[in-house]
Amino acid sequence: MSDLRESIERAESGRRKWPWISGAAVLGVLLAAGIGLAVTRGGEDSASAASGEPVRGGTLQFALIDYQRSPDPQWGTNYAESLIGNNITDKLTWQDPDTGEITPWLAESWSYNTDLTAFTFKLRQDVTFSDGTPFDAAAVKANFDQYVHGDQTLGINPNGATLLPGYIETQTPDAYTAVVRFEKPLASFLQASAFTANAQPGFLSLNTLKLSAEQRTDPTKVIGTGPFVYESWEEQVKTVLVRRQGYHWSPPSLRHSGEAYLDRVVFNTIPEASVRTGSLTSGAVDATLDVGTTDEQPLKDQGFAIVSRSVSGTSIFFNLNSQLFPTNDLAVRKAIQLGWDRSAVAKTVLTDSYSIATSVLNTSVQGYADYSGSVLRYDPDQAKALLDQAGWVPGTDGIRVKDGKRLEVKLLGISNLVVNKPAYESVQQDLQKIGIDLQLTVVPIPDYAAQVAKAKTDWNITAANRSRNDPAVLNLSYSPALGNGSFLEQGVSTGVDVAEVTDALGKLETTLDPVQRAAYAKTAQDLLLDKYALVSPIYNPSQVIAHADYVHGIVFDAQSRNHFVDAWKSDAGKSAGR
Amino acid sequence: MTGVARYTALKVGRALFVVWAAFTVTFVLLFVLPADPVDLLFDPAELNAIPPEVKEQVAANYGFNEPVILQYLNRLGHALTGDFGSSVQSGKPVTGAILEVLPSTLVLASAALVLATLIAFGIALAATATRRTWLRDLLESLPSGAVSVPVFLSGILVLQVFSFQLGWFPAFGDQGWRSLVLPLITLAIPVAGPIAQLLVRSFTTEFAAGYVTTGWAKGGTRGGIIVRDVLRNASLPALTIAGVTFGNLIAGSVITETVFARRGLGRMTQTAINTLDVPLVAGIVVLVAATFAVINLIVDLIYPLLDPRLRASLTAGVAP
Repeated sequence: MSDLRESIERAESGRRKWPWISGAAVLGVLLAAGIGLAVTRGGEDSASAASGEPVRGGTLQFALIDYQRSPDPQWGTNYAESLIGNNITDKLTWQDPDTGEITPWLAESWSYNTDLTAFTFKLRQDVTFSDGTPFDAAAVKANFDQYVHGDQTLGINPNGATLLPGYIETQTPDAYTAVVRFEKPLASFLQASAFTANAQPGFLSLNTLKLSAEQRTDPTKVIGTGPFVYESWEEQVKTVLVRRQGYHWSPPSLRHSGEAYLDRVVFNTIPEASVRTGSLTSGAVDATLDVGTTDEQPLKDQGFAIVSRSVSGTSIFFNLNSQLFPTNDLAVRKAIQLGWDRSAVAKTVLTDSYSIATSVLNTSVQGYADYSGSVLRYDPDQAKALLDQAGWVPGTDGIRVKDGKRLEVKLLGISNLVVNKPAYESVQQDLQKIGIDLQLTVVPIPDYAAQVAKAKTDWNITAANRSRNDPAVLNLSYSPALGNGSFLEQGVSTGVDVAEVTDALGKLETTLDPVQRAAYAKTAQDLLLDKYALVSPIYNPSQVIAHADYVHGIVFDAQSRNHFVDAWKSDAGKSAGR
Repeated sequence: MTGVARYTALKVGRALFVVWAAFTVTFVLLFVLPADPVDLLFDPAELNAIPPEVKEQVAANYGFNEPVILQYLNRLGHALTGDFGSSVQSGKPVTGAILEVLPSTLVLASAALVLATLIAFGIALAATATRRTWLRDLLESLPSGAVSVPVFLSGILVLQVFSFQLGWFPAFGDQGWRSLVLPLITLAIPVAGPIAQLLVRSFTTEFAAGYVTTGWAKGGTRGGIIVRDVLRNASLPALTIAGVTFGNLIAGSVITETVFARRGLGRMTQTAINTLDVPLVAGIVVLVAATFAVINLIVDLIYPLLDPRLRASLTAGVAP
């Protein structure tokens, strides 16, 4: 049969050549593409980096990893939501990112009673929401009430209940005076009034507060007093903000007068790291957040500016479980603190934008004290000696053993920051050398969240951080009455005076006198780091932005969120990309 | 009951069962295991410090406070009317949130399916038509190659070339048809793989059939025989893998939409899982299961129309 077919086929005339032609065409396209890849487009003429007099106008194309799921900044729990919320709403006060000091914003001045249970704010009288309604004491009261209590019928959660614990009410003795009252002393409320991170107390118009959660997914109905207002929101894709006309109440300490310089800021969501950097280098965006550690140097080499700020609050920490074997042994906890080489992590994992933790508090938090020379140093010999004394003897595989049980320490961590895993692995290698088997489980946030509820009984170490630029963050995170990060329990956590920790940390909420508060913060850090060794801080995470040289004035606030009121482009007409 | 009616009832019943099973398994996985869904509503760093009354209030907001069996019946009842509750992260009704992004995914997926089918037929036709063994071998290796290239990698590559270097197409966002081109190609390649593989095989089989020889004998040209006779017979099996193809499209769209920062169901799924948006995940899973079931149902119901043998056995009253 095949013979027959062959012969018929041979007889066929006019053999077609198209497979050859198309093959050649495909090859040609591939070659062209390859050449395109190989040729780096050097020498892109960038606008002169003339700083100096800010230029008005223009659109800033900004890229970031996350997108807004809700335009309501009080609801928002991710970075994109807090970042954008900061540019459409204002807060009562502004925390100076350099000094940590609380300075005026929508409140011109404030006072508090000696108990720190009542805070009186005198409000600016010239502030309006973008729907024209005035910002006054009634607005403060309505916002705080809903922020703390939520509204079941509107489907609004009590978003601010954790930031303002023990909130009773807001009194309005006159139109521009608001008195916020609490059940217990709450020194950290002053910083909370400037809070710009997730689920922030940004003020919304009374017209917005009346709307249900679903209605607030229309961004044009989410009305604030901020330097920008929503123009549009395409979920998963981008949020566009336009300049608020007549805005003139940015925080005095920012030294920006009047409206924002930019006409428009576009927040483009780009989940893929290589697409963010590619979009920056190809000029499709002017600036990008969420720059990976390995991308920093290449971008710098291509002439892009890298700006960053360490995340204020706690460092990335190893919280040591004080009631679970073997971290219920003080010697083990101390050995973990001493047993890993800080310089190795700094050299192999971190960039200049990050730093090794020298306390559980970030250096920018008031009351920070430096422990790099004492308990937070690399001293393997001392660590080994401590373990020896506590009866931990090296086993056959090098891992220490006591009463027949291996020195296995189980760590639960989050993989959201690229730096986490390699940093922990570096610690793991060093601890191995002194006979501690650190077992890493570094997982995405959902898995972490599911596990962390069982941390008390299942995990020796939980590795995370908490972003709050106030020393009371220690009370929130570690007080046995609140976060209880190391699971302190009288009688179960051997050798720890739980009441002593509760009292010492609680004092942070009882004074706003800087000297006294610093002293309390020192005592708290001494207990957590030195006396009971309940935490081994690792490194200070950072928010890193890369931007073109014609971009100026992107502000990092005290919570490392960005404000664009003072941002401008040297060549405002130059639109990013296409 | 006639054979056809029984056959139809059987297939429809199976489809309904699949959707119900998907709903139930999702419920068990998300609401009962592995963690209390209420815990997942809060920032893990703050979890221990949340006052119990706040927890209760938030739980009540989403109906997580009721007994599990009541929640199940309640949610099942609402799901029957298309109500999957509200997204935990945005407060939007789940059904609305899904319907909002679904068109983008449908446009991408259907265009990718068309392109993939064209590519597959192109490969199969070319491989059958050519008489050069090396070229045929090369073409026949393309399908497995297409399946092996991760969407992630091919997406980044086409972006590098056509967006960052040449600047022909935007790298992210939704800007009309220009934003569709690169994701379309990226998604079509892996989807084309299995279809092409199947077609190449059935083209080869059919090309060896007796009627082809008859065609030659009647003086038909190679191209003519392939297009007129072989193509029709060889493309039937492609219908069988419609379900598989749909699965590939959904899986591919998660990555494609992420790489190209497009809005769509795939990206929403990924975010919903990452942010533990339990009601949203449940809604998406049920939607995807229902779509799977409907596609398979349609294929099952079309078969008797296409295959006379099956039709004959049905009308004779014999269960398939």
